[in-house]
Amino acid sequence: MPSPGASSVGIIVNPHAGKDIRRLTSASGQTSDAVKIGIMRRIAAGAVEMGAERVLFSTDTHRLAQRAVEGLDGHFEFLESPLTGAGFDTIAAAQSMCKEQVGAVVVLGGDGTCRDVATGWPDVSLIAISTGTNNVFPSTVDGTTAGVAAALVATGAVAVDAVAHQAKRVSLRIDDPARDAVVHEHALVEAALIGTAFVGARAVTDPATIRWVVACIANPASTGLASIAGRVHPVDRNAPDGVLIELGPGGRNVRVPLAPGTFATLHVASVETLRPSETIELTGGGVVAYDGERTTPVSADTTITVSIEQSGPRLIDVDQTLALAAHDQLFDEPSPRKETHGD
Amino acid sequence: MELSTEVQMDLHRRMVRIRLFEEAAGKLAEAAKLPGFLHLYVGQEAVASGVCAALTDADQITSTHRGHGHLVAKGGQFNEMMAELMAKSTGYNKGKGGSMHISNLEVGMLGANGIVGAGAPIAVGAGFADKYRGEGNVAVAFFGDGSTNIGAFHEAANMACALKLPVVFACENNEYGEFTAREKTMAITDIIDRAAGYGMPGVIVDGMDVVAVHEAATEAVARARRGDGPSLIEAKTYRYYNHHGVQNLGLKYRTDDEVAEWRERDPIFTFEEHLIANGTASRADIDAIWAELRADIATAIEFAEASPVPTADQLLVDVYTEMAPTAAEVPA
Repeated sequence: MPSPGASSVGIIVNPHAGKDIRRLTSASGQTSDAVKIGIMRRIAAGAVEMGAERVLFSTDTHRLAQRAVEGLDGHFEFLESPLTGAGFDTIAAAQSMCKEQVGAVVVLGGDGTCRDVATGWPDVSLIAISTGTNNVFPSTVDGTTAGVAAALVATGAVAVDAVAHQAKRVSLRIDDPARDAVVHEHALVEAALIGTAFVGARAVTDPATIRWVVACIANPASTGLASIAGRVHPVDRNAPDGVLIELGPGGRNVRVPLAPGTFATLHVASVETLRPSETIELTGGGVVAYDGERTTPVSADTTITVSIEQSGPRLIDVDQTLALAAHDQLFDEPSPRKETHGD
Repeated sequence: MELSTEVQMDLHRRMVRIRLFEEAAGKLAEAAKLPGFLHLYVGQEAVASGVCAALTDADQITSTHRGHGHLVAKGGQFNEMMAELMAKSTGYNKGKGGSMHISNLEVGMLGANGIVGAGAPIAVGAGFADKYRGEGNVAVAFFGDGSTNIGAFHEAANMACALKLPVVFACENNEYGEFTAREKTMAITDIIDRAAGYGMPGVIVDGMDVVAVHEAATEAVARARRGDGPSLIEAKTYRYYNHHGVQNLGLKYRTDDEVAEWRERDPIFTFEEHLIANGTASRADIDAIWAELRADIATAIEFAEASPVPTADQLLVDVYTEMAPTAAEVPA
């Protein structure tokens, strides 16, 4: 018997994605609200087309959800929660979707947004659409197709286990005795120690400040911090390992697209593979960045214990989902009943 | 961007100077010691400070009706500012500008402005002059969210981009135009969604975080200075007091809880926590800065109160520019 939320599709949007300082420091484009609204509208239309009984939207400070469904036919619900205008809104939205037992969630944002969703609902089944700056975890897929795929999974027409792959995470335990704090954090692509004193504008724009990067996805075809690891020691998103890159003199000098359209030379001092069962201890002060965003300031005598875990969200393969649906003729209209005689 | 101790303490000092000046001005206004309207900048200190710390003395800014913070951040002195607010002849504008028309060209502050949106075209003019003369300076227009609905802003943004002028548009989005919430006057939420329409990049920063503002401003100013044209920075910020004055008209257009939530993210106090945690300054260092600047404010109030008002014969002085006589006016 399907669970109460089995035919529900969730849509979570980060209204702030694609608007930070990297519009000035790199060739990153801006993702306007109008672009996000258009994608959300197409997701909703695709989900309704494929039989999602409920389409649940996160609410946001920009009222993107309400604006996206104006004039659309379908049953749309808005999950109200107190809004802060920060990443907490995305976390709270994911928690609400978990409570509602939503079958598949479509996320609009970059790596940081997907990380927030996974914080609120660690093993969520999701489709991630790039609307951020560095998009290693999400991909560029049209909203229409994403909505169709989400509904196929949510309705059970395509089995989630057949098309979803559990993602890895970088798990961190940060022990900062000077601040009397122990913090547990995670990242879906990479965590890094940045040698600055402030969180500031969050994005990592100065290559000279990067101390180390631990990545569980190290794709040479990506941009951002993960591309450092990707260009030195690629790690596939479906492989169990991770990689630690320490920056400093004495090793390879590697050209890296630290942000879209912006290249820098990084000095790679050492490279180390992280096996799934391994933990490593790193030390140092600065600000720890998760999935590209400076977040946690740490003192100089901080110990950061890092490991790679196979406990991330379940990432739905849109192409595979639609291929299976086509194979099973799920896009065919029901044939008109034939007149039968006799028997 | 790694900020030196000197820059960190400079950012802090600019913010504290604004806070103390504005709090003192508010008290004087309540005591009916300042003539005219007073629009206080308290809460928004990180924006003026973060931007102006990225400028040289030769760079110029234009301001708004809420303009004291911009002048303080650009290097305005308390004595001359307080005297101007009290309409005394020792003020920056000899007591004839007051709160809403205060200016000081020596520090590159082209003027507060009583007309919403009117500062942006003036900054574009300054940027045009800089480019024409090849001086390598930058002009910054400070303006609020509401002014981006005014025609002058659109013309200024369009012209600055069309001519690729060294201008930075610094929007202080404090969510209210006078007593009206932004969503009642605009169909969009982020002002930067308009930037692409003119052909310039737009970025959002946390306007309660002076480092975030300073990082973005530094990039935008560098971009303008190297000839790459204008940028739009939108700082999400908040004014603690009402549209004008402290208590204003007592209109309830926003909740006390909302004000309290923003105050929890106070730009000065949160920055001080970071300075202490990073070992940049001690609590005693910070207390000493507040004490020193409080003494400066007290001196400025004494200076202003002791200064004379302009005399009647000064009524038309400095009102019109002295023009050279035309050929027809020159006696044969």
